[in-house]
Amino acid sequence: MNVKKILMWIFTHAILVLNLLIVLIPISWMIIASFSKGKLLSGVKLPIDGVKGLFTGNFSLMVSNFREWFSGLTLEQYEYLFTYKATTDQVLPDYWDAFSTTLYIAVLNTILVVILSSLVGFAFSRYKFKGKKQVLLTLMGLQMFPAFMGMIALFMMYRQFGLLNNPTALTLIYVAGSIPYNTFIIRGFMKNIPKSLDEAAAIDGANNLQIMTKIIIPLAVPIMGFVAVNAFMGPWMDYILPSIMMPQRQTLAVWLFRLSDPRAATYSPLAFMAGAFVVAVPIMVVQMYMQKFVVYGLTAGADKG
Amino acid sequence: MKLKKLIQDFKEHPQAFRVLLRSFFLMGWGQFKNKQKFKAFPLLAIFLIFVLAEVATSSYWYAAEELALAPAGDGPLYFFRDYGGFFTSGLWGFFTLGRIVTFDQYRGQLIRLHDNVIPWKSADISTVLLGEGILVMVLVTLLIVVWIAQMVDAYKTAKRIEQGLHVDVWSEYRKRMFDDFFAYIIIIPAAVLILFITLVPFLYSFLIAFTNYTSKINLGGTLIEWVGFENFGTYLFQSEWLSFFGRVLSWTILWAIMSSVTVYIVGFIQALVVESKSVKHKKVWRLFMILPWAIPALISLMVFRNVFSDNGGLANVLLVEFGQLENVKNFFRSLGLLGQTHPGVILWYTDPLNGGLTKLIIVLVNLWLGSPYFMLLIVGVLGTIPAQLYEAAEIDGATAMQKFRFITFPWVLRATVPVIITTFTFNFNNFGAIYFLTAGGPGYAIEQIPETMRITGSTPGQTDILISWIYKIAFANDPERYNLASVYSIIIFIIVGLFAIYNLSRVKSFWED
Repeated sequence: MNVKKILMWIFTHAILVLNLLIVLIPISWMIIASFSKGKLLSGVKLPIDGVKGLFTGNFSLMVSNFREWFSGLTLEQYEYLFTYKATTDQVLPDYWDAFSTTLYIAVLNTILVVILSSLVGFAFSRYKFKGKKQVLLTLMGLQMFPAFMGMIALFMMYRQFGLLNNPTALTLIYVAGSIPYNTFIIRGFMKNIPKSLDEAAAIDGANNLQIMTKIIIPLAVPIMGFVAVNAFMGPWMDYILPSIMMPQRQTLAVWLFRLSDPRAATYSPLAFMAGAFVVAVPIMVVQMYMQKFVVYGLTAGADKG
Repeated sequence: MKLKKLIQDFKEHPQAFRVLLRSFFLMGWGQFKNKQKFKAFPLLAIFLIFVLAEVATSSYWYAAEELALAPAGDGPLYFFRDYGGFFTSGLWGFFTLGRIVTFDQYRGQLIRLHDNVIPWKSADISTVLLGEGILVMVLVTLLIVVWIAQMVDAYKTAKRIEQGLHVDVWSEYRKRMFDDFFAYIIIIPAAVLILFITLVPFLYSFLIAFTNYTSKINLGGTLIEWVGFENFGTYLFQSEWLSFFGRVLSWTILWAIMSSVTVYIVGFIQALVVESKSVKHKKVWRLFMILPWAIPALISLMVFRNVFSDNGGLANVLLVEFGQLENVKNFFRSLGLLGQTHPGVILWYTDPLNGGLTKLIIVLVNLWLGSPYFMLLIVGVLGTIPAQLYEAAEIDGATAMQKFRFITFPWVLRATVPVIITTFTFNFNNFGAIYFLTAGGPGYAIEQIPETMRITGSTPGQTDILISWIYKIAFANDPERYNLASVYSIIIFIIVGLFAIYNLSRVKSFWED
């Protein structure tokens, strides 16, 4: 029995350690690269002799090698990242420009998505009106369209009307695309708010607008928060849409891509690693926070069976 | 059968049928006859808005005068182009996609051209005409729907009056209408946005598949033309394109299956390991394991693109430093995945002979990105399994393996089937996993490309899935074949749509009001 337990312990921990290595090696390489000198990947120096020393037991060599390696790291890439100012917006992307464009899109997207989807969600959760079923079906069907299909047409229409490179026009595409899904989420939540609240308010003389803004919306704040976080996060890491709709400007995703693509004239992998690190960390924090929603969604799924 | 019944019904209620006919000829007339003015006037107003919009944007009134001076050039069809209003000229544009205007041919046109810088010869912008045309079609469809609805309403109300049943009067109707009205008002902004940004572009893209539109067409100089199913014939059913399409489609399906299955299996193992009794500090281990899920996929993919770079990428650096390069190369060679003749480092995604290796790399990188999500998911599901099941199994003397096979696995699988299907459809269109990692590369060797297609371009790379190939066809190739991209988009739509419908039919809660 005891032997079995020990074997089990070794087995599980072997998998865990292997897993840890596979996860951490690429991440640490990215971080090391972001602190390296030069422009290309050949500038990345790894403490390989030190790691070898760890295995062979030659510790003094290991320490000196690590020390030497550590002193070779620099903040060059980060300095470049935050101080570089693009003169002509085509040649080399500029971090601050990409950042502010993306921030603008994300904020506008959040505002519009939250307002519009809570309005529609409210209407669908509270009223029985003519054509309700048809509209719901249409919304459901719209979700099935590959967003890509509309993009070819949107590109042509935007080009014709001079809306390319316009962040506001781009945001409208995000908004329209996410209304159906968010409407269903909000509607589902609002349906669980008892109708007796509305009726009580109506008896007290509240009109529809007051019922919505004073009673239902305040109760639906948690779900609207969820929708808002999603809407805010979406544009940061979306590539296809901005790459098509804003050929002359960058969002962060496009900016990162231009730095990381070996075929691009702007290829500078080390600056990319620094940029990726800077962009990834805040997103990771939010994502870690969102963890509980994954667990929530799946237990709901488990109940359904 | 239904029609027969309807006609029978009409015969039995001739009075009501006459009311219906009134509504057929003029929106709201039937309602007026039913003494429901509160319905009749808004309906009439809707109709008048359409008519006014048409008339106000047209120039019918000086058509007669102008045409008397000189008869319309090439026939009556162009009448709507030059004199029609929003609706008629929109429909004209939709069906014809415009015409080429020359100075001397067309008298009516000549008068119009005075407003502009006078071009000697210019073509209508077909893309704009198509967009307007679709908008008009959508609006007209809405009008027809309302028209039919009000005919039905007029008929039913007339029948109720005939039978002496209660019919709504204004005060009752107003009370019901007020709620409806509020619902409509708050839906309208979203509806308008969806109409313009989702619905119209979708129809537009769909229709582009039936035109000859590529970037070779110089708008303003040439017209786009309707070509019917010709694109389907030349691109989809012609052997050279078909063979590439077959290769891309089969890799897309293989990729979607492989990527979903591998992340599921590995995520399952991770969950079992981290939840096993012999592991302490579960939270710490889990924190490390979900790191790849927390990092945005786009960034991970671009980092991995550089990890597998043949110019200083981590993979090759490690293989060289630890002296394993040749061993690993021989290993892949023996599996038939690697065929590079290039000595030295492994060309992970640039050598046409290493296509198999590149595909393996994509699946492995996706595993790195994707398995933590399934681990999280399955850890959650494991917590929902009732402990009594295991206790009962232990009493019956079940081994650990049996407990897994008959309790854990079926339970988890049942709970996660919808997620697996969603993952499959997501990966089917997982543009990022391909485009950011390999950009579809390696390309096919020149001998593998049929001679006719070496000139036409638009060939996929070996690891391109449908969506990334379409992206290249529509936005990154010369010429950009919008029509071909639309043809393939329609195919994706059909495949993914089937899956989505299947998934939807499972969600019962949607159908409850």
